[in-house]
Amino acid sequence: MLTEAPQAPARRERKTATRVLVEHHEVLRGLMRQLRETPRSQPGRRRALADELFDELWMHERIEESVFYPAMRDITPAIAAAWSEHRQLSDQLAALVRADPRTERFDRELGVMHDALESHAHLDEERQMFPEIERFADEELLVDLGDRLQARLEWLRSSRRIRAVLRLQRALLRRTAR
Amino acid sequence: MGLGSDMAQRALDRLLNAIEGDDRLDRAGHRLEQGLAFTENLLGITGGRTRGFLHGVWLGHPLHPVFTDLPIGSWTTALVLDLAGQKRAARAAVGVGLAGALAAAVTGLHDWQHTHDHARRVGMVHGTLNTLALGLYGWSWVQRGRGHHLRGRLAALLGYPVIMVSGFLGGTLVYRHRIGVDQTGRQLEPRHFVRVMAEHDLTDKSPRRARAGDVDVVLVRADGRIHALENTCPHLRGPLSEGWLRDGALTCPWHGSRFELSSGESLNGPAAAPVPCFQTRVRDGWIEVRRAPAAATAPPGSALVHQQEVQP
Ligand code: FES
Ligand SMILES: [Fe+2]
Ligand SMILES: [Fe+2]
Repeated sequence: MLTEAPQAPARRERKTATRVLVEHHEVLRGLMRQLRETPRSQPGRRRALADELFDELWMHERIEESVFYPAMRDITPAIAAAWSEHRQLSDQLAALVRADPRTERFDRELGVMHDALESHAHLDEERQMFPEIERFADEELLVDLGDRLQARLEWLRSSRRIRAVLRLQRALLRRTAR
Repeated sequence: MGLGSDMAQRALDRLLNAIEGDDRLDRAGHRLEQGLAFTENLLGITGGRTRGFLHGVWLGHPLHPVFTDLPIGSWTTALVLDLAGQKRAARAAVGVGLAGALAAAVTGLHDWQHTHDHARRVGMVHGTLNTLALGLYGWSWVQRGRGHHLRGRLAALLGYPVIMVSGFLGGTLVYRHRIGVDQTGRQLEPRHFVRVMAEHDLTDKSPRRARAGDVDVVLVRADGRIHALENTCPHLRGPLSEGWLRDGALTCPWHGSRFELSSGESLNGPAAAPVPCFQTRVRDGWIEVRRAPAAATAPPGSALVHQQEVQP
């Protein structure tokens, strides 16, 4: 045989939207944990981790806002507040990257980042919104949305343009920090 | 008269329902908010003093309506001066209105970004109309300066009804959607100490929700003291017990208003009003709370204060 057997494209496992999102919350929590375990004496690593958190959380907000929240607006009344909570997270992310990782201020911003993230991802979404959605939305819709969320996240992660925009945002935020 | 006002009412109702039901406004609204958020973070407004200043925290209510009177008043004056043929005075009135409109735009956007759903959509249209009027009056001001008074008057005539409709929408935001209005319930209960939670259940620095009679309260242990505030945020009724502490103040999870634990005073907005407070004590291992007299409703010697002094 001269030609290799054509490889089937790597298939994603199909998951419900809420599962996709909870798993991504875990990714974010993992980053938070690593950040909190990195001491002030390693500012380079702290900065790299903060960058990663900035990008990953930004993408998390965008996939929820573009795919998930619009589809859930008639199922739960909690969507408007969730949008606002994303705004709080964005503000806190900005405060975090603007803080110098060698300082005590960075630790303080990190502590607030942790609390704000848990407030939204855990107290609001995982404990209230998602259970309500799982009860009232039908399974098929959720699996469908799950596919779209995963595809969207992959696209964002691999897009050069998005990466460049995020890098620019971080640079501007840092440059203007006092 | 009756028929006329009926028709007006129906037309305005239809206008409002059309705006509030139009979800096409949401996408643009969120884009705009993200742009605003980035700008405010770059300028250091979010965590700084300007934030509360623009929300009117120092004033005790939103700053925005203070400025909105300026364009409406000045441009009405310009209309009258135009009729009287007072060219220079009319131009000055248009100019004063422009300055006020710009200040109203900045404070209005700053408040608008922290609204939800219907109010958000109405706010979008309100802002768009105001921008249109600002453009027309700006052009009018320039034309008058160049001696083209007829053009200047025409632009003002076009802008005036726009600002009227927009003013109507602004009123809707306050009276119908209660934006900028203190949303606390003004209850007086509980007047006597009631048990709300076992003391050992309240750990340091993590806010907990509890029930005091008919009222939801949030309990916070910080600096060796136990603080109790009403759980409902005065801005848009966000749940404070799901918030977090920053520099010793409780932050609302929805729009980030920070409240002083001991007094309930807002430190940064968007909430301009304080959260009502409770007095706390620990008896037999239980945290007990009762309503702290609000300064405005309970002057010294009032029944409430008397009751609390007699039965501590
Ligand atoms: S509800 Fe808006 S700040 Fe609390
Ligand atoms: Fe979210
Ligand atoms: Fe989420």
